[in-house]
This record gives sequence, structure tokens and C-alpha cells, in this order.
Amino acid sequence: MKVVAKNLNFTYSPKTKGLSFRALDNVNVEIKEGEIFGIIGKTGSGKSTFVQHINGLIKVQKGGGALKVGDYDLTDKKCDYKSLRAKVGMMFQYPEHQLFAETVFEDVAFALKNFAKDISAEEIAARVKEALSTVGLDYNEVKDKSPFDLSGGQKRRVAIAGVIVAKPEILVLDEPAAGLDPKGKREFLELLLRLHKDYVKTIIIVSHDMNLVAEYCTRAAVFSGGKIIATGTPKEIFSDKNIIEKSGLDLPLTAALTEKLKSKGIITDSDFTVEDFTEKLIVALKNGGKIR
Amino acid sequence: MRDVSFGSYFPSNSFVHKMDARAKILIAIAYMVAVFLVSAFHFLGFAACLLFVILATVVSKVPFLRVLKSVRTIIFFVVFSAILQLFFNKKGTVVFWVITDVGLLNAGFIIARIMLIVLGASLLTLTTSPVELADGIEGLLCPLKWIKFPVHEFALIMSIALRFIPTLIDETDRIIKAQKARGADFESGNIFKRAKALIPVLIPLLISSFRRADELADAMDSRCYAGSKTRTRYKKLRFTFRDLIGVLVVAGLIVGIVYLNGFYALNSLAEIAGAL
Ligand SMILES: Nc1ncnc2c1ncn2[C@@H]1O[C@H](COP(=O)(O)OP(=O)(O)OP(=O)(O)O)[C@@H](O)[C@H]1O
Ligand SMILES: [Mg+2]
Repeated sequence: MKVVAKNLNFTYSPKTKGLSFRALDNVNVEIKEGEIFGIIGKTGSGKSTFVQHINGLIKVQKGGGALKVGDYDLTDKKCDYKSLRAKVGMMFQYPEHQLFAETVFEDVAFALKNFAKDISAEEIAARVKEALSTVGLDYNEVKDKSPFDLSGGQKRRVAIAGVIVAKPEILVLDEPAAGLDPKGKREFLELLLRLHKDYVKTIIIVSHDMNLVAEYCTRAAVFSGGKIIATGTPKEIFSDKNIIEKSGLDLPLTAALTEKLKSKGIITDSDFTVEDFTEKLIVALKNGGKIR
Repeated sequence: MRDVSFGSYFPSNSFVHKMDARAKILIAIAYMVAVFLVSAFHFLGFAACLLFVILATVVSKVPFLRVLKSVRTIIFFVVFSAILQLFFNKKGTVVFWVITDVGLLNAGFIIARIMLIVLGASLLTLTTSPVELADGIEGLLCPLKWIKFPVHEFALIMSIALRFIPTLIDETDRIIKAQKARGADFESGNIFKRAKALIPVLIPLLISSFRRADELADAMDSRCYAGSKTRTRYKKLRFTFRDLIGVLVVAGLIVGIVYLNGFYALNSLAEIAGAL
């Protein structure tokens, strides 16, 4: 499923003078199947507002442009949001705050029961088991526990399982790694990559972590004041001083280092992933000479 | 979710906004008393109250629509009480089916009374920020300190509650969205189904409220908050000529209504006397 937004506009409280706020301003973007697409930009630039359009949590406003997700036309009044949401999973900051059920099993099964009414008990158990093991939890150990008795990291895994259990084709993540310690963050990213390999096709990720974006995203869109001011590969975005300046973003570490080493004449370029950067650096070091 | 109108502050710099919160609360209470004083079927009294609200709205520079919006939130309640009166009041003569003239008058009376009260109350909250409101109530309750009532703590509880309303609304919004993304459906089904659908929202909300309460307590402790004894105020409340004008106007309203009531009462007395 492809996500295509054309001239998407959105205004909060459009009818109340003084309170109304233009959060999206002519947003044009196309997110292809199979991408890990980054959404970056300063706080308040409209990132969350945009991604919540993708599964219809925020409805496209009248005259607000066009938005298509696969075959779903979100400007259509008759759009079937429920089946759309089964295909587009969404996870917010602190997803563990959505836990509510008495047991981990019940909580993870929640989405399944909502989306597929006539699903059998065995099928539910099988899917829950699969989802829990995908996020690295032991089914038999946790399934009957109260989600509130788990540790913070485990809670978050349960919450993730509760989203991916529906096997969405697109997974939208709004700052999902917030509040995790470095180890938790690393594990989370590994989990994401694993998901992308054999579970969900497309991942759309809102993040303030430029290192993450440079390392994992195929492409990204830069939001600023409700507009998209640039779309491209991390390499294209972080090489353009103009964009960095205008959007107020940080450079990823690899980009900053590449810049520095380029100015000293040690390496010529890298594509800003750790892998490629070290590769280029090693080649330069082996060639010797260039280091002063 | 953010445009819940009932009880939301409308910032402005008007005459009414600048009034002392204590005076505004007193005036609002006096106004409500006035509405209740209007005795049965003397709609002229209601007209006077309506005039008062309209006047106050004009002076406060709050758009009429904003004030009227507050009625929308309770319209169900109003209609319900009116219907009860219409169908179950057996007094008077039948004008249509089971509806009697007294029932009809009573229904109109109840609608007018509730609407006027809600209009007045929402005008108070539209022109007084929650913090001022809490300060005002604390000021008014001060005399209770004599009987060892913890006025300051009471006011603190109130202002914390008020302060957290927008936060709770945001939080509710977030949780509803998260559950909707997992296929929760709040819009279809009968009333029991819908009530059950709220569980996945209410439980996380409750838990996060406890968490917030804990965090707030820690934050207050770490800033050495120790209750009322040593605290001073940033904004002092002050009674000015504006408040005097307000008090005079509302006093006029009450006197007028009492006079009207007395006038009608005398009239009916005279009628009875005449009949004798
Ligand atoms: N419910 C709302 N009512 C009114 N304005 C809102 C609402 N939600 C967001 N806004 C405003 O819209 C703008 C865009 O908000 P949005 O949440 O999309 O930003 P964001 O890019 O996700 O920021 P962050 O990185 O802080 O999450 C902000 O200026 C915000 O103040
Ligand atoms: Mg956001």
C-alpha cells in the first residue's frame, strides 16, 4: 500500500477565531511500499497531525486536499476506517499508556477481536503467541500476568505486540523510542528492523533522533511550520545546509564527522550510515598519506 | 476535544474580566438567587434576568455565540425536564392530548430557569480564569478559617483539579486515539455496548491520573511546599469601583424581582379580597 497526499491542509478549531491554527499547509508526499520513511522537524511543525491522517484518526477536512492509502480514499465519506486501521497500525509516544486489560493476553488480543469479529479462539491464541514472541517475550511466562505488573520495557513490548498482532501492512510510529534507555532503544530499533523484514511492509517513523533517521530510513520528509520543505534520502537532506538551517534540525553524528573529515581532506564522502562511514574511513586510513 | 465550551476561559481585557473574582462570584450567586426568586409564571422577572445577562455579555466582549454554546452541553437535560413537566403534570385544564396549560407553563418556566442559570454560570467562567476563580473562592471562604476549616488546602485542591482539566482532556484524546488505532469503536452499538467500549479508555486514564498525582506531589515536595502559613500571592485581589457597579446592578435586579413578586402577590390578594 502506497500513501499519497496531495495538497493536504489541516486547521485545528477552524471555526473558533483566535483559537484556530493551521497545522498542515499544502503537504505533498508519496510514501512507497517497502520504505522506512522518516518524518522529521521541530516540535509543533505538524508531524503528528500528518501521520494521524494516515489511518483516519484525524479526518481530512473539507477542501483539505487529497489523501490515498492503498485503495482507500480518505476524502471519501464512505471510507471504511475500521478495515483501514487493521492495515495501518499506529503507535504513539509511550505506547504502554494504552494498556488496560486484566491480562497481557487480553490486551494483545484486543485489536484482533476488534478487527476480525469471527476469528476463532485458537487463531487468536496463535496470533497472540506469535506477536509476543516477535517482540521477544515468552508467551507462557507473561500471558496470564497483569500488564501493570511488568517492568517498563516489558510493558512497552506488550503494547507493541498489541499493535502488530493485527498484522498491519503499514506501521506508523510517532516518537516510539522516547523515554527508553540506550539499551532499550537499541533493542527497540533491532525489533523494528526485524518487523520490517518479516512482518510489516512499510514503516513510517516520526523521530527527533537524526542518527536513527540517517541510519535506518530509506527516505524522509522535513516538516517546518506545517509545510514539507524537503523530501529525499537522509544523504540528500543532511547534505543540504539550507534545509538544516531552515528546519532547525541537528545533523546526525555521521554527517557531522563526514563534513569535518572532508574539510580536512581525509575522506571524500559517505552516505551517512555508520557502516558506510567507517568503510570510507578505513579505506582512507589504509591509503595512509592523507592524514596529517 | 479542545473546544469544550462549558467552563472554558475567554481571554479579553474587558470591564468584566478586570473585576475582582470574589465580587464576580458573589454577583453570580446573587444573580442565581434572583433567577430562583422569580415566582411562578411571572415571566417579566425572567426578562429582567435575561437583560442582565445580555448586558453583562456585551460589557464582557465575549461573543454571544460562545455564551450560547454553553447551553448546548445541557440541552438534553433541559428538554428532559421540560418533557417531564409536559406529560406528567396533571394540574390545570387539558389543552391538547395529555398536556395541560399548567404543564405547558411549568415546562416554559423550567426551560427559562435552567437556561438563565447556565448562561450566568458560563459567563462567570468565560470571564474568570480558573486560577482567579480558585483565588476568589479561597478569598470568600476565608472567614471559615475561624472554625479551623482548611480553606487554603481546599482552594489548592480546587485549583489543581481545574488545572488538570485540559491535561485530562488531552490525555483522554490521546488514549482514545490509541485505542481507535487498535480498532476500538466508540460510535456504534447500543448504550451498553458503548459503555463497555469506554473501559479501555477509562482504565488507562485512571492509572495515568494516579501517576500524575504522584509526580505532582513529588514536584511540590521538592519545591518545599508547606501549605498556607508562609505563602504570599503574586496577584492580589482588589475590590474596585467596577465591582461596586456590578454589585449595585445585581442588587437592583433582586430588588426589582422582589418588588414584582410583591406586586403580583398584592394583586392576587386584592383579587381574593374582591371576590370576598
Ligand atoms: N488539538 C489541537 N488543537 C489546537 N492546536 C493543536 C492541537 N494539536 C496540535 N495543535 C497545534 O498544531 C501544531 C502541530 O502539532 P503537531 O502535534 O502535529 O506537532 P508535532 O510536529 O507532532 O510536534 P512534536 O514534535 O512536539 O510532537 C502545533 O503548533 C500544536 O500546537
Ligand atoms: Mg508529535
